[in-house]
Amino acid sequence: MPFPWLSAAILLPIAASLLIFFVPDEGDGRKVRWYALGVALVTFLLTVGGYLNGYDPASDQLQLVERFSWLPDLGLAWSVGADGLSMPLILLTSFITALACLAAWPVTFKPKLFYFLLLAMDGGQIAVFAVQDMLLFFLAWELELIPVYLLLAIWGGKKRQYAATKFILYTAGSSLFILLAALAMGFYGGGTPSFEYTALAAKGFGTGFQVLCYAALLIAFGVKLPIVPLHTWLPDAHGEATAPVHMLLAGILLKMGGYALLRFNVQILPDAHVKFAPFLVVLGVVNIIYAALTSFAQRNLKRKIAYSSISHMGFVLIGIGSLTALGTSGAMLQMVSHGLIGASLFFLVGATYDRTHTLQLDEMGGVGQKMRKMFALWTVCSLASLALPGMSGFVSELMVFVGFATSEAYSLGFRIIISTLAAIGVILTPIYLLSMLREIFFGKENAELISHSNLVDAEPREIYVISCLLIPIIGIGLYPRIMTDSYRASIETLVQRETLALARVGPLPLQNVLRPLQPGLGLPAAALQAPPLTTFRPTP
Amino acid sequence: MGMPAADLAWLIPLLPLLGACITGLGLLCFNRTVNRLRKPVAWFLITCVGAAAVLSFAVLAEQLAGAAPREMLFDWASAGTFNLQMGYRVDPLAAVMLALVTTIALLVMVYSDGYMAHDKGYVRFFTYLALFSSSMLGLVISPNLLEIYVFWELVGMCSYLLVGFWYDRDGAANAAQKAFVVNRVGDFGLLLGILGLFWATGSFGFETVGVRLQEAVADGRVSTAVAVILCLLVFMGPMAKSAQFPLHVWLPDAMEGPTPISALIHAATMVAAGVFLVARLQPVYSPYPVVQVVIAVIGTITLFLGASIALTQQDLKKGLAYSTVSQLGYMMLAMGCGAPVAGMFHLVTHAFFKAMLFLGSGSVIHAMEEVVGHEPALAQDMRLMGGLRKYMPITAITFLIGCIAIAGIPPLAGFWSKDEILGQAFNTFPILWAAGFLTAGMTAFYMFRLYFLTFEGSFRGNDTAMQAQLLSAAGKGGAEGHEEGQGHHSSHPHESGWQMAAPLVVLAVPSVLIGLLGTPWNSRFARALNAEEAAEMAHHFSWGEFLPLAGASVAISVAGISLAVLAYFLHRIDLGQAVAARFPAVNKFLANKWYLDAINDKLFVQGSRNLAKRVLDVDSKVVDGVVNLTGLLTLGSGEGLKYFETGRAQFYALIVFGGVIAMVVLFSAFG
Repeated sequence: MPFPWLSAAILLPIAASLLIFFVPDEGDGRKVRWYALGVALVTFLLTVGGYLNGYDPASDQLQLVERFSWLPDLGLAWSVGADGLSMPLILLTSFITALACLAAWPVTFKPKLFYFLLLAMDGGQIAVFAVQDMLLFFLAWELELIPVYLLLAIWGGKKRQYAATKFILYTAGSSLFILLAALAMGFYGGGTPSFEYTALAAKGFGTGFQVLCYAALLIAFGVKLPIVPLHTWLPDAHGEATAPVHMLLAGILLKMGGYALLRFNVQILPDAHVKFAPFLVVLGVVNIIYAALTSFAQRNLKRKIAYSSISHMGFVLIGIGSLTALGTSGAMLQMVSHGLIGASLFFLVGATYDRTHTLQLDEMGGVGQKMRKMFALWTVCSLASLALPGMSGFVSELMVFVGFATSEAYSLGFRIIISTLAAIGVILTPIYLLSMLREIFFGKENAELISHSNLVDAEPREIYVISCLLIPIIGIGLYPRIMTDSYRASIETLVQRETLALARVGPLPLQNVLRPLQPGLGLPAAALQAPPLTTFRPTP
Repeated sequence: MGMPAADLAWLIPLLPLLGACITGLGLLCFNRTVNRLRKPVAWFLITCVGAAAVLSFAVLAEQLAGAAPREMLFDWASAGTFNLQMGYRVDPLAAVMLALVTTIALLVMVYSDGYMAHDKGYVRFFTYLALFSSSMLGLVISPNLLEIYVFWELVGMCSYLLVGFWYDRDGAANAAQKAFVVNRVGDFGLLLGILGLFWATGSFGFETVGVRLQEAVADGRVSTAVAVILCLLVFMGPMAKSAQFPLHVWLPDAMEGPTPISALIHAATMVAAGVFLVARLQPVYSPYPVVQVVIAVIGTITLFLGASIALTQQDLKKGLAYSTVSQLGYMMLAMGCGAPVAGMFHLVTHAFFKAMLFLGSGSVIHAMEEVVGHEPALAQDMRLMGGLRKYMPITAITFLIGCIAIAGIPPLAGFWSKDEILGQAFNTFPILWAAGFLTAGMTAFYMFRLYFLTFEGSFRGNDTAMQAQLLSAAGKGGAEGHEEGQGHHSSHPHESGWQMAAPLVVLAVPSVLIGLLGTPWNSRFARALNAEEAAEMAHHFSWGEFLPLAGASVAISVAGISLAVLAYFLHRIDLGQAVAARFPAVNKFLANKWYLDAINDKLFVQGSRNLAKRVLDVDSKVVDGVVNLTGLLTLGSGEGLKYFETGRAQFYALIVFGGVIAMVVLFSAFG
């Protein structure tokens, strides 16, 4: 039997987190943090090991499969695996968590509990991406809520109780929809209920049923991603979180929403997805513009960046709704890219707050004269966030743009309107990011600020964390295929399913508003042959 | 000879990039040490750019000798059936630009060694310069629209970094942001245009797009109107980058950056990128007369607007900046007249003499700072200059050469290139020619006005009353500006050191001579770029047509110069009394730069701010309000709220867990 890379990567941090209470420590966190960092690094190496040893990027099949019967009556099995949709995000999760442990270095308040939660979250989040059973998925999804709630409620800012409560109500409330949809889909068609993704995808749900499930799941995942207007938990949660938690929230948590949309809404409910795709695109544009404007007006640094995350997630929605391989691939890349860029910006926010002790832009100014390296890091990360070429954000947004603009599924008028509106984001993003830089770093020093805070420049640990994030950001920006090739095959299979569904379902909603659809327009005949759906290869 | 130089052309942008990366990392990791290694870093980066320059000239020589254009591509990103390709392309147009950019970049770097000698950001400045050179060179050898867009953004970023180089100055901070955002407005159109052209043609390559777009229009798949709109969208990019009306507003503000930057980026190279792109896109644009007319009209408005505002500027650099706007308008006019070779020729000649003029102005400012301190509002204002020729003869002579060149007096460079554009315009759009012709006179006038106010007469730098007046006009307290400068070292300025003087002298040579490469009866420049067009030009050339037009141009230039001599050298007429006082409305209109900055501020800056505030209000009051209200209603009984506020909500998760487990049990019992 091959080494169970994924199970190990899920269970190791969870088991190690329980052992953390036995680590001898004087309560200042000096030993615990090394322990946690070590565990997070081993977990990262496990995922990398799995990628290198058991994962073939050229295949669209489910790989690294591990399956053990758990509750046979219910057909519930411990089944994990990775395909192109999950592998990049699994790697991202273990990578960002390791860096978050390093970012959490200054935490001295209840360090054991803090790192316990961080590691538990690591395992839970990898599980979200790796499990292949919808009930297990639901469990993992819920499991990861508790650490986030506690991390917010104990280590947050002044309004932490409010933010944490809002977070848990929002996400827990919305995840009831996942449970409902999972149960409905599992019991659909009678017989032994089955919740494995392959089984669900093979059931051939009726279109009406798909639409209902799709809507329920869209609400649940839309809260997580988030989709405007389900986003209001995010600025509060992000506004109160500490830097490492922040990195995890922006870097990984939001991606769970995007991943789940691709996994369930697109892969399992393709007919409904084709019907909903235009709405996803519209919602994506709303996200981009609405959140960019709110970010511009926001005077609190953390909330500003939080809104910018929402804005960037709009591209994920457009990509998923584009119904093309290029656009969907761009959405996937945008998730990875924003995971890296968002984490770096939030880390910098935390590092800056440690020095200025304020997040209000009005109370900053001229900080760049004392903190030159910090200024440089901020500039690079902001430029990455505004999609400067040579960095990953540019490639992903470009792929979404080109993918959507060339999508034959939509009428020309619709594409023109959406592309134009989305491109307005290209103007708005630099406005709010560069204004932010100007207000923090440029100009004369704020006398009041320097009178009461010690503005020491970036320390080596901080430069190291940012460098670790910038290397993949720039690497993907220069040669995106190092990332896109790892999931290309899976995305193409997924889009073939969309194409088939498109041929089956017929005209999209909103189509008729702008121009009637010519079915199958521009689709090569080969694309209409049934693609094989990812199937399990039971481990012997 | 071994490997052709074109095979190594990818090294040209890569060498400065590597240099910039090494010093950039050094700055980040070993800040103090690297900041102390001023000269070694400067020489290292100058060597990198120098090596790129050598390669560029080898490539140019090869192309002039008739080597075939060369293109190398690789798959950069792919998904489904799409492959986005990147690579490089060397052809005569690219080779000319390579040689031009590396030459000026090299000279500006040598100059900066003197100009920035006392700046604490010396190493950072050189790093940015190398980074810019790399991006600009990459833009020049881009084989397709997509890659152009990549480098287009990168040069924009370098411009942002360099305009905001003195980041403790508010003016610089605002100007940097304005430059980036206005350029992004142009890029918005460029991006949409590129996407649209890709949709219509399935390609990003210049020729392929041109050919396939025509096919698509002929097939009826794409209507002519759509094709025109796409072309115009793409044109928005060059409009912003090359400071064409109404997106020119960023360029004069960008003068807040160090002067070598103004010379390299905001006069000679980056701002010319727009013109370069339009030249590259001629295969796409030329079939659509509407597009050509729009380009020509925008170019004409720009050339007139720039020159008219330059008439009243008191700031030496701002005067030159508006002159750049005006000259870029001439280049665009040439593109619109379907004469890309003429436009490119003006681009090349202008690059040399305008770089020289800006470097000269930098030399003046550097010298003025010795007297009035490091305060741009004082050191750049011509009301405090005058008589500098006595103190800095090299700067004065080279500046005068630049003025003659830009005024269009034969046989200096500007005459040949500007006259060719006017000749083309005369044949294509006579009305636009009239505007260009009139502006030629204005150009001669304002350039000589700059020269006389700066270099002739008597030195006014010690006029403390005027200094105080200028400072208060700039909104700065009297004392503040003086303290941060190193005080008044001397009562009169001095000539700059060799690092600054040598580039001026070197640039004076092409400013005088390079025009002779493009004489209309035997244009070697045109032959290198486009042999057919050159042959046609030579064929159609007739002295009978050339002499009257050229004579008229020279005459109006001489008239402009004479007026400047009378007003500012001999002081025979007082233009303030004679014109400004008699037409106060016109004067005010020009002094306020056609009110475009005010409109821009009111409409876009304030408008977007207010809109954003409204949206945030909606977000926090309406959207979030509904959420909180629902929360309160459901938990409103008080118990629930208290319960969650006490922070034991993990209990909730237990309930969910329990629920799931219960369901599992339930189902297994039934199943």
